[in-house]
Amino acid sequence: MDLDQKRSRSVDRVDSVDPDSSESTRTCPFPDEVLEPVLSLIDSHKDRSSVSLVCKDWYHAERWSRRHVFIGNCYSVSLEIVAGRFPKIRSVTLKGKPRFSDFNLVPEDWGADVHPWLSVLAEAYPFLEELRLKRMAVSDESLEFLATNFTEFKALSLLSCDGFSMEGLKAIATHCRNLTELDIQENGIDDLGGDWLSCFPETLTTLQVLNFASLNSEVSFNALEKLVTRCKSLRVLKVNRNINLDQLQKLLLWAPQLTELGTGSFTQDLVTRPVADLETTFGNCKNLLTISGLWDINSVYLPIIYPACVGLSFLNLSCAALRSFELAMVLMHCKSVRRLWVLDNVGDAGLEAVGSWCPLLEELRVFPADPFDQEEVAGVTESGLISVSQGCPKLHYILYFCHQMTNAAVATVVQNCPGFTHFRLCIMNLGQPDYLTNEPMDEAFGAVVRTCPNLQRLAVSGLLTDLTFEYIGKYAKNLEILSVAFAGSSDLGLKYVLGGCPRLRKLEIRDCPFGNAALLSGLTKYESMRSLWMSACNLTMNGCRVLAKEMPRLNVEVMKDEDSEDSQAHKVYIYRTVAGPRRDAPPFVLTL
Amino acid sequence: MDVTLGLLDQLPSSDGGGGVPSGGSTTMRSILTGSKSKEDNNKNTMVVSTEVTSSYPAVVDDESLDGLELGLGLSIGGGGLKSKTAVTGGWSQYARILTAKDFPTTLVSEPNNSCSSSSSVNIPNSSASGTKRTATDSVSPPNGTSVVGWPPVSKAHRMPNLANQMKSPTENFISKSEQNKSKNRTVGIKDYSDERNGTANKKYRSVKVNMDGTLIGRKVDLNAHTSYEMLAQTLHEMFFSKWPSKEAVKPSRLLDGTSEFVLTYEDKDGDWMLVGDVPWEMFISSVKRLRIMKNSESNELASRCEENSERYRD
Repeated sequence: MDLDQKRSRSVDRVDSVDPDSSESTRTCPFPDEVLEPVLSLIDSHKDRSSVSLVCKDWYHAERWSRRHVFIGNCYSVSLEIVAGRFPKIRSVTLKGKPRFSDFNLVPEDWGADVHPWLSVLAEAYPFLEELRLKRMAVSDESLEFLATNFTEFKALSLLSCDGFSMEGLKAIATHCRNLTELDIQENGIDDLGGDWLSCFPETLTTLQVLNFASLNSEVSFNALEKLVTRCKSLRVLKVNRNINLDQLQKLLLWAPQLTELGTGSFTQDLVTRPVADLETTFGNCKNLLTISGLWDINSVYLPIIYPACVGLSFLNLSCAALRSFELAMVLMHCKSVRRLWVLDNVGDAGLEAVGSWCPLLEELRVFPADPFDQEEVAGVTESGLISVSQGCPKLHYILYFCHQMTNAAVATVVQNCPGFTHFRLCIMNLGQPDYLTNEPMDEAFGAVVRTCPNLQRLAVSGLLTDLTFEYIGKYAKNLEILSVAFAGSSDLGLKYVLGGCPRLRKLEIRDCPFGNAALLSGLTKYESMRSLWMSACNLTMNGCRVLAKEMPRLNVEVMKDEDSEDSQAHKVYIYRTVAGPRRDAPPFVLTL
Repeated sequence: MDVTLGLLDQLPSSDGGGGVPSGGSTTMRSILTGSKSKEDNNKNTMVVSTEVTSSYPAVVDDESLDGLELGLGLSIGGGGLKSKTAVTGGWSQYARILTAKDFPTTLVSEPNNSCSSSSSVNIPNSSASGTKRTATDSVSPPNGTSVVGWPPVSKAHRMPNLANQMKSPTENFISKSEQNKSKNRTVGIKDYSDERNGTANKKYRSVKVNMDGTLIGRKVDLNAHTSYEMLAQTLHEMFFSKWPSKEAVKPSRLLDGTSEFVLTYEDKDGDWMLVGDVPWEMFISSVKRLRIMKNSESNELASRCEENSERYRD
C-alpha cells in the first residue's frame, strides 16, 4: 500500500474521533507526514525496534521508513517475513555462523549460505544497494547473482566469509556499475591469482571504499593505479601485501584525500626513492584517520608515517612486527590516537610507551605474534597492562593475549580504568592460575564486574572456579556478550550466569563442566538472547531434547561427530527463531 | 623421534589432519584394529616418551590416535574405550594439557568418570579422529598446542614468526577453506590445516591438497610416502576413487601430464610448480601444498610463472 492510501486511512481515523475529545484519547497525535520524516532519522536498529512497539501507527510508520535491516542471526528469521514487514529496504546486514567458527570449531559446511537469501532479496528488493555479510558462506555463483540481479547495487562488505574466489570478485567488479564500496576482511579463502581488479570498467568512478588487504592475490598495479586516479571520492583504500612502498607512493599521490589507508608491504624492492620523498607524500595526506597494514616495516621506513600520525585516530600495527623501541618512536607522534592494535612482541616496554604517549587511548588490542609459542619468552605480561591503565584513563576496550596474569594486576587495572565496556583477557596457557599466588583467577574477574558497571562484553580465561561465575551473575548487570573456555567447576557456574546477567545476549562456552541441569536452569532466558553455544561440555542429547520440547521457539541444534557417544551432545547451538527449524541443515546437524 | 616416525609409517595416512572418506577409513581402521592389540602397549610407551619431550607431533595424525586410544585403559576422563571424546588418544593420559582439573589446589572436583561426559578439557576437538564431518575437529593443532581453536586467534591475526617476515603472502594466513574456482556445492568434508605444520615440523609433514572443481580439500602426509608414485597413488584414491574406469585419471598419468589433470605444488617461495621435476627429497622439503589442476589451467600456470619471473627482473 502506498503512502497516499495510508495517509487517507489515518486521516479517516482522525476524523472519526470526536473532535471534542482531548488529545490524549487519540491513538496517535502525529500525522504520518510528521512521523515518518522524524523516524527516518533514526538509524539504530535497536531504537527502531523500540519505536515499532509503541503503537500500531508507529509500527507502520517505522516499517515503511526503514531502509536498513540488521539480522544478527540469519536463521532467526526468514526473509519472507522480513520482506513482508519492510517494503523499502535498501541495505541488509546478515550474520551467519556462530563466532567460534573463527576458531575452527564449526565445520565448514554447517550452513549460513547466502544464496537462498539472495534469491528472495532479488524479488523483494530489486533495488537493494548494500549488502553486509559476516560469517556467511558466499559462493562465486552468489556473487555473480548479486552482481547481475541488482541494478542499483553499490556496497558489498564481506567480513569473515568464505566460499568464494577471485571469480566471484571479478563478477562484482565487472557488473556493478555504481559500486561505491568493496570491503573484504578476514576471509578464509585461498585466492590463487585471477586479477579481478582489472575487471573494473574504465567508466567506474564512484568507488569510495576499497579494501582487499586480506586477499593474497596479485593484482595488476596498473589497473589499481588507474582506478585510484579516476575515483576521486575514494576515502578508504586498503591494499594487500603485494603492493610495495613505491607503488603505494604513486597511489597516495593520486589520493591524498584518503581518510583510511591500509598499506601493503612497507618496503621497497629496490631503493628507488629516498625516504624523505615518501615522507612528504604521507604528509600530504592530511585527512588520514586510520593506518593499517604496514607489513614488513622496519626502523628505516618507520619515519615515513610520522607526518600522518598527527591526526591519527586508529593505528593498526597488528601486521607489523615492531619492537618496543620502534613502537615508542611511532607513538611519540600519535598523541591523539584512540584505538591501537599491536602485536605482543612490543613487550611490556612497548606498552609502557603506550601509557606514556597516548593519553587519549580508548581501545587497545594486543595480539600474540606467535600464538603457539611454547617458549613463552616473548610477549606481554601483567605489568604491560598496568602501565597502559595508568597512562590511559579513558581506556574502555581491551583485548589482551598474555602468558601470565595476577588477580592483583587486574584489580589495579580496573581501578585505574573503571569505564571498561569490553574486557577480553586471554591467558594463553589453559587453566593457568595467578602465577604469584597460585590461586584461581576468580578475583580478577570479580574485580572487573564489580568495578566496571558499563561492562558489555567479557571474555574470561585462566584457572577459574564457579566463584567467577557467581560474581558475573551477581554484578554484571549490563553484560551482553560472555565468552568462556576451560573454566568452572560444576553446573553452578553456568547457573549463576543464567540466573543473573539480565542483558545477556550471546553466550559462548567451550570445554566447561556444565551439564544438563545448568542448561535447563536457563530455560526461560534463552528467548531473550540471540544465541547460546556450548561445545565439549557435559550436555547429553536427552538434556537438549528436554530443552527443545519446553521451548518450541528455540532451535536446539546438536552437531554430531562420529566419535562421541550417541547420548552425548558434543556441540550445541541454541538460538531463538521465528523461522522454525533450519531447512538447510547438513546431515550432522540435528535440530531437536 | 624414530618411534614417532615409525608409528606414522605404520599407518598409511592419507589424511593427517583431515576427514577420511568412508572408503579410506575402513582400510585405516582395519589396519589399526589389527595392530592395536600387539603393538599398543609398546607403542604407547614409546609414543608417550616422545610426546612428553616433543610437542605433540603425533597429535596431528588422528588415525594414530585412534589406534593408541583404543589400546589404553583410560581412567582419567572415563574408562570407556569407545568414547573418544573422553580422552582423545592414549597419550593424553600421560601427556595432555594441564587443565583446571589437574590443579590440586583448586576446588575443582573431577566430575566425570563416565563415557557420556566429555571431559573435553583434554583434547576435545581433536577427538574427532577420523571424523569425516567435523573436519574442524581434526585440525592438526600446531606444535605445542593440543587444543583446536586455542588460543582464540582468528585468521587475520595469526602472524608468522618474526623470522619468516618475508614477502610471501600465503605464509601469513592460516587459511580455512580451499575453494578455488569450485562450482559444486556439495555438503562434504572441509579440511583445515595449519600451514605452520607443513613448515615447522619435519616429523609429520602434512600438506593440503585441493582439486579444481571440488569443494573438498584433503590432507596428505608426505612423510608417509617415499616416492612420487606412492603420492600419486594416494591422491588417486582420495580424489578419483569414484572414477575407477576413467582412463584419464590413472595414478601414473597424474604425473606425466597426459591426463586431464595435472598435479602441481606450491613451494616455499610461493611459486607453483609441476610435480615431478625435482628429486623427491627436494620436493618434500620445499612443498607447502598441492593442487590438482585441470590441464587447461596448467598452461596458464606456466605462462604466469614466466610473467612473475619477468616482473622481478625489473
